[in-house]
Amino acid sequence: MKRQNARTLALIVSILTYLVVGAAVFETLESKQEKSHKRRLDARKYELMRKFNLTKANFEELELVVLQLKPHKAGVQWKFAGSFYFAITVITTIGYGHAAPSTDSGKVFCMFYALLGIPLTLVMFQSLGERINTFVRYLLHQAKKCLGMRQTEVSMANMVTVGFFSCLSTLCVGAAAFSHCEGWSFLHAFYYCFITLTTIGFGDYVALQRDDALQNDPRYVAFCFVYILMGLTVIGAFLNLVVLRFLTMNTEDERRDAKQKALMTVGKPRGEVTRLLPLSTSTSSTVVANDATKAKDLKGAYTEVLHFQTICSCLWYRSKEKLQGSIPTMIPQEMTFSDAYLQQNSNCPHYMDPGSTGCVCSPRQCTSISSITTGLHILSPFNLFKRRSSV
Amino acid sequence: MKKQNVRTLSLILCMFSYLLVGAAVFDALESESENSRRRILEQKRSEMKRKYRFSEDDYREIERVVLQAEPHRAGRQWKFAGSFYFAITVITTIGYGHAAPGTDAGKVFCMFYAVLGIPLTLVMFQSLGERMNTFVRYLLHKMKQCLGFRHTEVSMENMVLVGFLSCIGTLCVGAAAFSHFEGWSFFHAYYYCFITLTTIGFGDFVALQKKEDLQEKTPYVAFSFMYILVGLTVIGAFLNLVVLRFLTMNTEDERRDAQERASLKRDRGLLEGPTGPRVVEIHQENDKRYDKFSPPLQRFVLS
Repeated sequence: MKRQNARTLALIVSILTYLVVGAAVFETLESKQEKSHKRRLDARKYELMRKFNLTKANFEELELVVLQLKPHKAGVQWKFAGSFYFAITVITTIGYGHAAPSTDSGKVFCMFYALLGIPLTLVMFQSLGERINTFVRYLLHQAKKCLGMRQTEVSMANMVTVGFFSCLSTLCVGAAAFSHCEGWSFLHAFYYCFITLTTIGFGDYVALQRDDALQNDPRYVAFCFVYILMGLTVIGAFLNLVVLRFLTMNTEDERRDAKQKALMTVGKPRGEVTRLLPLSTSTSSTVVANDATKAKDLKGAYTEVLHFQTICSCLWYRSKEKLQGSIPTMIPQEMTFSDAYLQQNSNCPHYMDPGSTGCVCSPRQCTSISSITTGLHILSPFNLFKRRSSV
Repeated sequence: MKKQNVRTLSLILCMFSYLLVGAAVFDALESESENSRRRILEQKRSEMKRKYRFSEDDYREIERVVLQAEPHRAGRQWKFAGSFYFAITVITTIGYGHAAPGTDAGKVFCMFYAVLGIPLTLVMFQSLGERMNTFVRYLLHKMKQCLGFRHTEVSMENMVLVGFLSCIGTLCVGAAAFSHFEGWSFFHAYYYCFITLTTIGFGDFVALQKKEDLQEKTPYVAFSFMYILVGLTVIGAFLNLVVLRFLTMNTEDERRDAQERASLKRDRGLLEGPTGPRVVEIHQENDKRYDKFSPPLQRFVLS
């Protein structure tokens, strides 16, 4: 089965399993407490009904009024500050629900507002997150140089560690602030920050809902807005670092498959090869014949390498990143592997023998990729021309 | 200024203006109605307080009990069906809040559950969305061939149109279904589907909350879960088609800048090399720096 399809199926199965497991655990943790809580509340309700001599209908009427007053209890929700808060919850998809448009026109505007706002916000957070990652990478590089370390390259592990700790500290700072300002326990404030910054936004805990804070405490209001937006940026930067590459995996595989297919259907020398010919324009037919056989070898080599990469995806991604850093831009992108392999084949044949399982991904053979990358360092324009000028 | 920085700054500015404009419009649309509703409700409340002779404390007590009992009004929320519903709202980040973990252990597990579940779900929806787009592209291609078009290539516009219509279709199907089962107006059901499938999830409208639906109406429960997951896939496919490329723009630009820097260094090294042939190759079509020296794809050997 095609790799992308296998990957997609595996992901679907994992998600469904994850949901079932989660449901079972939540049921175990919450069901009993729910039952006892409901019983206590019902008992209390009947007590109150007896105390004030209320019929069921009366109590239900009372219930309705109380529930409808709930959003108003927290203060005015739709003045400018409240509307700004609401707009943030819409375009970041947090969606607490502490305030929701009650008019139909409000609902309609909300939908159009979200339609444009959500992609804009996604792109903005990823853009800013990438800038932050680049800046952090630069800082780490300088820090490594200052500390006199031997290898000043900033590895992925470094970046992930820094990112993870930034996320954790952002949550802790928020937890401390909100537990102080809202009177929640530290755990509940941490839970609130987590649910907010992952954009889940249950609405069981919502900031700025006490004592009409939206109207009375502009500094706290500003702090909340800044915290939410900056926190989302930090989380977005971490996602940009860790998750974004996986979102494009299928697309990249399709692109690579299309290239492979195109190469398969072409029997004659490809454009990239002929591009090198202009210099040796005084070619004899032998050069053309050479290039024809070279093209066949090229196709074969390319297929080999692609076959290798098809199975060993981890190496594909690692080698791709290494290559993009180290290849001299002399070589057009499409030709990298074919040319490199050609070079390798002419200098040191590294034939890749698929093992019994069909997978070439064993430690012994996997050194081929690293030798390709080192081979590229050898592959300077000097060698390139040396080959051509041997005509 | 570097392109990525300009892009990022303008995006930040756009977002802030967008928020300001949105806030102003929501204020204009909702503030009046909020005030009048509040007045009516407060009037009703004082009427009731007088009628039943509640003191302020009595009322507070009743209010507390009613608010705490609110989630229970919709039936048992934490049996398996309800927990599954909750788990969906966590990992898809919809987060209605119709049910939220009451125990501290539940809250802690919820956080760990989300940390792993949300990226997994993101990757899954994008993966499946990409597969769907590829399949749709294939179908459109075949259709164009069957209909005897001259150009059987499927353009981006075709895909975007089909994607957009699928999203609208999904929302309408959901709106029809939920307006029937939940007794909402078509408009409110549409609004519910939209808020759900964009993962905003206010919780003002929540399906499966009519008395004991979660326990009793199993086919409807299954339909709701399927609808949410399939709907999110359709939206995810559309996002994969239209938005995903923009999320990697800065990264691609950084990569291209790094390549340019590397090539510049190498060329400088070659030109100043003490021995060996001095060769300068200019390959990159998008290498604007070399444009003023020679057209791209030209080589010359310095003797």
